Amino acid sequence: MTAPSTATRSLKRRVRRQTTLQALPWLAPALILIGGVVVFPIGYMIYTSFRDLTRFGTDRGWAGLENYERVLELDHLSRVLSNTALWVVGVVALSVGLGLVLAQFLNKRFPGRKILRLVIIVPWAASVVMTSTVFVYGLDPFYGIINQFLVDVGILDTPYGFLKNALPGFLSAMAVAVFVSVPFTTFVFLAGLQTVPHDVLEAAQIDGASRVQTYWRVVFPMLRGALAVATIINVINVFNSLPILKTMTGAIPGYDADTTTSLMFKIIQNDRQIDTASALSVLNFIVVVVVIGVYLRVVRPMRED
Amino acid sequence: MSTVIDRPPTVTAVGGGVDRPPVHERRRWGLTVVGAVVATVFLAPYVIMLVGAFKTRPEILRVPPTYLPENWEPGNFLTMWDTPETPLPANLLSTVVISLGGTALALLAALPAAYYTARHNFRLKLPFMLLVLVTQMLQPTVLASGLFREFVTLEINDTWLAMILVNAAFNLSFAVWIMHSFFASVPKEIEEAAWLDGCSRSQSLRQIMLPLVWPGIVTAVIFTFIACWNEFAASLILLPTDTNQPLTVALTRFIGQYESAWQYVFAVSIIGILPVVALFALIEKHLVSGLTAGGVK
Amino acid sequence: MRRVIKAVAVATAATLGLAGCGSDSGSGDGGSTELELLVPIYGDKTKPYWEDLVEKFEAENDGITVKLETQSWDDIYTVLDTKIQNNKAPDILELDAAGPAYGAEDLLYKAEEIVSPETLEDIEPSFIDSAKIDGVAYGLPTVASTRALFYNKDLFDRAGVTAPPKTWDELLAAAKKISALGGGVYGYGMPLGSEEAQAETSIFAYGAGASWEADGKMTIDTPEAKEALTFMKQMIDQRVTQPDPGATDRTPLLDVFIQGKIGMIQGLPPIVGQINEKNPQLNWEIAPSPTKDGSPSTLGVADYFVGFDKGEEKQEAIAKFLDFFYQKDNYVTFNDNEGFIPATKSGAEAAAAKPELKTFLESLPDAKFYPATNPAWAETSGAFKSLVGQIQTKPVDEVLAQIQAKAEETS
Repeated sequence: MTAPSTATRSLKRRVRRQTTLQALPWLAPALILIGGVVVFPIGYMIYTSFRDLTRFGTDRGWAGLENYERVLELDHLSRVLSNTALWVVGVVALSVGLGLVLAQFLNKRFPGRKILRLVIIVPWAASVVMTSTVFVYGLDPFYGIINQFLVDVGILDTPYGFLKNALPGFLSAMAVAVFVSVPFTTFVFLAGLQTVPHDVLEAAQIDGASRVQTYWRVVFPMLRGALAVATIINVINVFNSLPILKTMTGAIPGYDADTTTSLMFKIIQNDRQIDTASALSVLNFIVVVVVIGVYLRVVRPMRED
Repeated sequence: MSTVIDRPPTVTAVGGGVDRPPVHERRRWGLTVVGAVVATVFLAPYVIMLVGAFKTRPEILRVPPTYLPENWEPGNFLTMWDTPETPLPANLLSTVVISLGGTALALLAALPAAYYTARHNFRLKLPFMLLVLVTQMLQPTVLASGLFREFVTLEINDTWLAMILVNAAFNLSFAVWIMHSFFASVPKEIEEAAWLDGCSRSQSLRQIMLPLVWPGIVTAVIFTFIACWNEFAASLILLPTDTNQPLTVALTRFIGQYESAWQYVFAVSIIGILPVVALFALIEKHLVSGLTAGGVK
Repeated sequence: MRRVIKAVAVATAATLGLAGCGSDSGSGDGGSTELELLVPIYGDKTKPYWEDLVEKFEAENDGITVKLETQSWDDIYTVLDTKIQNNKAPDILELDAAGPAYGAEDLLYKAEEIVSPETLEDIEPSFIDSAKIDGVAYGLPTVASTRALFYNKDLFDRAGVTAPPKTWDELLAAAKKISALGGGVYGYGMPLGSEEAQAETSIFAYGAGASWEADGKMTIDTPEAKEALTFMKQMIDQRVTQPDPGATDRTPLLDVFIQGKIGMIQGLPPIVGQINEKNPQLNWEIAPSPTKDGSPSTLGVADYFVGFDKGEEKQEAIAKFLDFFYQKDNYVTFNDNEGFIPATKSGAEAAAAKPELKTFLESLPDAKFYPATNPAWAETSGAFKSLVGQIQTKPVDEVLAQIQAKAEETS
């Protein structure tokens, strides 16, 4: 190892340390907010997952990995895990796909476009609990207006219990999850489309590229950042989504329509085991971190760095 | 023939911008029809909600259901402000204060971080971005207990401030990520050109970058605002006093053990949607003005 | 010491009429005492009632303020768990039989410590006894009730059913006839969705002589319970219930009954008020819950007040408040509002005057309560909620074994 190279390296290191230090004032507000508010409850949850709590919430001491073992021994775990995979992949893929199409559509000029943009924000603006509640109300076989409508127009012979059995209930919940995720996704893409420089498009047009070619070769690659953000945020939100399943499939017996998140809720509410639920939550957390990590590795949305 | 190719070249973003002659008038009205179908799908559940809010308590659970109310009961929208169940005007005010405060704080903290990480490389950049993201990966239900302990210790539970902090902190990460991705998509050269022209850093930030990344900021604002507006799990635990509670918690006060006042639940939900849509209508144009606004160079 | 405090409490209770005489507050330092009161929401009259009561109480008791928090039944457990986990339990809590169960953790005052002997004397002992933990009473009953069979007389007439069923065989026969009417009408409403599946199951199981507890252990998988669930499954299989009972919650199903589409359903007294409000034309009647062989038995339920002992010497103030609540007028108004049966002797006299409560009052002596005092009951009840609806598709044996396993899992 020669002297100059060591010197260069140490210089580089110093520069890097310097820029990290320079970064600090810019990052400080965010770090303070995270450190002040978020760190404690996360730590507390992880702590709880290693404690033995009674159903009354009193602490009986250290539990080691017992809570984790209890989670891994749940006999319906495999079904819940495959449900979770279907839930996350299905909802996110459909939301992103529909969002891309809708963003493209909203980016065209036509009379009423502004109103449509306002309309599409409504499912996003409404609380998810209320949207799910309206669907539960509308899909009820007795007093549900949606069911009544389907019967009146002849699609159904008699009202159907959409939310009364695991599979149709789960699929209905997925549909609602897509419904409430699409608006946000659409607007991320719509905003992304605004950053596509028009001269690039013109160049493509002059080159005689077809509309489809222009989209896939020019527009889509420039949406990479928006796509990454939309996917990551949707994965996290959809994974952690509780209100839809709680409201729509909560009455269905058994665990055939549960994801890990709704299972966690049932462990708190029905089994009264806050410690086990915390352990499941930590496992959930690890899964999301891994999924997002893999995604970032593969897609590398920060590739320009 | 595609519209993109037929279209005369204009100096606007994709498909938007200045008026063009009505070459494809019929085609555009065709798009309007498609748009109407899309709008119907997205509005249908909320129309059910709205119509339900006009029904009387006996009619709302009629079997078989009525599509439209037999007796329109606009009174629900008036009487709900003064029910014994919850002080709704106070709840609305709480929601507004908490959401505005939370959004402002989140934005204040997220903007510099998003800008710096999009413009500069440093060793801890990726860890920082991941750390920020990780804070968002937990289900709020299990965190509420820790938050309660934290704010009881700080002696600010049952205050708006507590919920402003919670909302800002838990929405910070998405705000950083959304804005980061937009900042990063603006070529560095534009900013560097501005510096060469003698702009100071803050000038370039304000006059050049900001207009360019408006869509990203607006998206982040809307995202954060809506998330604050609809927050429930932490508010339920942290705000026991009814006048401090936001609308989401107030709604549960209409849910009884054996029967619920659905007409109020629906009416309050509708009222809860309107301010968000109004806010969106106000800032929507910034969402699409992007490159056209930033007349660079 | 305790006796002294009690004597003071009695004396104070006796002078309650002489309001505003500057009585010393409960706390030792002579300052003001704040009581946190957490109550569930029964309906739209709940919160106004408590606000009014608190106001009147504060006017009569200088130095005691009451901080009221109301929560929906859906959320109250979450809120309470968080408070207790962080040592911030309310001073006074109203809850179902899960309330007194906190006594097992030494978190509560004994019932006799938070109410005057006169008040305690007035409460029906059976309600206090059914919520004892290891022989100690912690809970003071607030509302009580039994379940009874609501039936639609018009549907009975149309189907040619002449009298309400007393036995399961009669129930099945009547439900069959009513279901045969068609047109979206069903014989029996069976809510086995997660909302309150344990109640419907218990009514039938108790009707076959089952007991969920023996010698301190949960006994779910028993021949009697199997008989009950098998009968329920038979009703489902013969399609005399509404479709998909396994995922039907109670509250929405009751609305369907109120709308005249269901022949029979088990219910509580507050439903009377709902029928009067939503569909007064409904021609209905109440009969005792049918049992396997017709011998009287049904499910009894009660909610309770408990006082949390956080070592803050608020006991005397709590007692003042609870004595105030149990004063005949205040207490009867509360039960009138919510449509339940009072659990005090003086209150029961008032309730006896009401014809719609007659069937419920009469079935009270034969009612069996949940074994809520067993530490494993909370989990068992949760297991019923999330699992028992599966009898619609799975064998009864399998479902019972699953619930039994959950009940024994208690750590």
